[in-house]
Amino acid sequence: MTKNNAFILRLLFSSVVRRRSRLLVALTGIAIGATVLLGMITLSYDIPRQMSREFRSYGANMVFIAAGRESSMSKADIARAAALLPADKLVGLAPFRYLTVRSNLQPYTAAGTDFAQVQKTRPYWRVTGAWPERDGEVLIGADVAESALLSPGRTLTLEGRDKEQSRYEKEVSITGVVRTGGVEDGFIFMSLSDMEAMTGESGHVDAAEISIMAGGQELKDLSAAIRAGQDRIEPRLVKRVTRSEETVLKKLETLVYLVTAIVLGLTMICVATTMMTVVMERRREIGLKKAIGAENRSIAREFLGEGLILGVLGGFLGSACGLAFAQLISSEVFNRSIAIEFYLIPLTVIVSAVVTVIACLIPVRRAMDIEPALVLRGE
Amino acid sequence: MFWKMLKGALFRRKGKLLMIAFAVGLGVSLATAMLNVMFDVGDKVNQELKTYGANLNVVPRGASLMDELYRVEGDESDEAAASQRAGEYIAEADLHKIKMIFWAYNIVDFAPYLETRIRIGDLETSLIGTWFDRHLTLPTGDEVDTGMTRLKTWWDIEGRPGDDDDLRGVLVGAALAARLGLKVGDRFEVEAPGEAQSAIVTIRGVFHSGGEEDEQIFGAMKLSQDLSNRAGLVQRVEVSALTTPENDLARRAAQDPGSLSRMEWDTWYCTAYISSIAYQIEEVLPGTRVKPILQVAESEGAILAKTQLLMLLLTVLAMACSALAISNLVTANVMERSAEIGLLKALGATNGAISLLLLTETLITAFLGGACGYFVGLVFAQIIGHGVFGSAVAVKGLVVPLTALLVFVVTVLGSLPAIRMLLMLRPTEVLHGK
Repeated sequence: MTKNNAFILRLLFSSVVRRRSRLLVALTGIAIGATVLLGMITLSYDIPRQMSREFRSYGANMVFIAAGRESSMSKADIARAAALLPADKLVGLAPFRYLTVRSNLQPYTAAGTDFAQVQKTRPYWRVTGAWPERDGEVLIGADVAESALLSPGRTLTLEGRDKEQSRYEKEVSITGVVRTGGVEDGFIFMSLSDMEAMTGESGHVDAAEISIMAGGQELKDLSAAIRAGQDRIEPRLVKRVTRSEETVLKKLETLVYLVTAIVLGLTMICVATTMMTVVMERRREIGLKKAIGAENRSIAREFLGEGLILGVLGGFLGSACGLAFAQLISSEVFNRSIAIEFYLIPLTVIVSAVVTVIACLIPVRRAMDIEPALVLRGE
Repeated sequence: MFWKMLKGALFRRKGKLLMIAFAVGLGVSLATAMLNVMFDVGDKVNQELKTYGANLNVVPRGASLMDELYRVEGDESDEAAASQRAGEYIAEADLHKIKMIFWAYNIVDFAPYLETRIRIGDLETSLIGTWFDRHLTLPTGDEVDTGMTRLKTWWDIEGRPGDDDDLRGVLVGAALAARLGLKVGDRFEVEAPGEAQSAIVTIRGVFHSGGEEDEQIFGAMKLSQDLSNRAGLVQRVEVSALTTPENDLARRAAQDPGSLSRMEWDTWYCTAYISSIAYQIEEVLPGTRVKPILQVAESEGAILAKTQLLMLLLTVLAMACSALAISNLVTANVMERSAEIGLLKALGATNGAISLLLLTETLITAFLGGACGYFVGLVFAQIIGHGVFGSAVAVKGLVVPLTALLVFVVTVLGSLPAIRMLLMLRPTEVLHGK
């Protein structure tokens, strides 16, 4: 038996070395298959997650408002509720406080917020000029700018009455004009600290917008967790955003899965066909071996070994290419590197080895069924 | 002689050539499916993104701030203010013109709104008149169904949906209904204090929108107009349109259409950018201002661009892979014919003749396989179309020449290295057997 094994090994070795170009063809085929396999699976696993990040450009999908009959909530309550959200999924949290102010006897709605966070929760804002960075700087809505003939660089005097009904007046400078096409076009935006200094009231806000990377059930679970974790804040889902995201994302997911399935199926058949062609041309060799007394089993074992080596080698080669391929698409489309699932690599190698071996054995079996004499004579 | 040999090869070596035809067919079906889906994915995803609602807001010129003012102040509307507002509406009778602009077919839906401040008992709120589902016949003879029901797909309505002909049936927001202790089927009185009008209405349904609308009441347009003595007037219109993602040209045009050259202007006007559609609506509804709702418009563009780029890259890579696989198989197939080539050479065939024979043979097979593959690919494309978007994928004619070119290039490139290798063989060696 050992002698037999050694012989098979020698046959294997010589077959690999002598038939270099043919093996190269087979190896390329298997590697292509493995590349597509690993690349597509990694992508179809990662794309829905990447896409859900893209969908955050629609802005906040959750809003905090005060629970019960309260009309405003304290910042500490918000921080406590926000702590219940997973930090790695939180894109932004912007507090808002609204106030009616007057300027030149015209009433305006002023919104106090955190500009750094607003840029995250409302990425669709189009600002002409610059975002405010220092105290005393404001952003005005496009309609305000148009009707009051204001532009970046000008100043504006805001007046109103604070809690004790005493008058205040504050001069602010305009750094930019924001255009959204929504109600924000009629607002004046200032930093929350400016508004607090102006009114002498601090520590509470009217609403907080949250943009978080979670969809469907996950989002509902999060809002239930917040509701259960404290009772000062009522989390509300922005249905327009969440519901639509769910629909569109599901479609995109199905698209990627279907495309993956079809591409994979076709590629695997292609690999099998190539292997079959490569093996088929060795019918004479099989016939000869049978004629000089080789058993069917040992012939099958030889091809099995060859297929296994090719499959594993091609599988590893393809895995490397597949990761590069997935990385290329991910960085090109989403500007982000891909999350690699390492267990997929051995899986790819196994699948490509199995496909190769099966593809080898089909033509070998066919060749073995034929009388050696017929094969050797040629057809 | 050439043709005879070609015919002989095509008929005798059926098994082997069938393999090439099969592989090419597979590759072509993959390419056809991916290309067709890629060309159509933009339109399909665009249609899906319409679930986010309107992307254009039509308001009367100059009224936008007054409306804000009005809401902020919330005081009684006196005569002066009322007359000042009189010119700040859009005529309801003109609205059908939105469906008659250059990009009419890209207007998916639109709905007008008219807000009336009302009082229920001692609680103040707004009643918003709208079109729920209106059937319009345009002067051009086209029939159009439009309204708010299809614009706000995320609304959950308990009870019956709104009806434009039911002047006494309203939809009440969930938060308001809870506050007033009202449920579906209840009747209550609404008063419009400024206009000394009132009406008894019945709740057709309670809706949950997850937005500020939950505090409001929606009713037929006529109801709101009657309550506020503003017959035939609407306050603003929301329009949902299919658009092309913005580029530099569109951004420049949005700033100032006047800054474009004649040619640029034509390109801009004849492309479905959100800014050109807005411009065209302003043309048919003079005295209005059309503002893109950036939350929807910007995000739509971003997601559309990403999806298209993703599909493009996937298609290119899938095609590269199938090209490699095909040429690989062709190489394998040509290589195994060393004995035959050796014999031909021994009989005095020139290299050119042999190459021509092999190439023609392979190409004919490849094209036959490719033709079958094309139709299989169409089936795959439709499976994807129906499976994902529930509608057929448009078959683009451009795909045929593209795949034909692919097959030609791939087959020739795949055959060449193998043929070169075969030509280098010495006949005696080959015929002797290795």
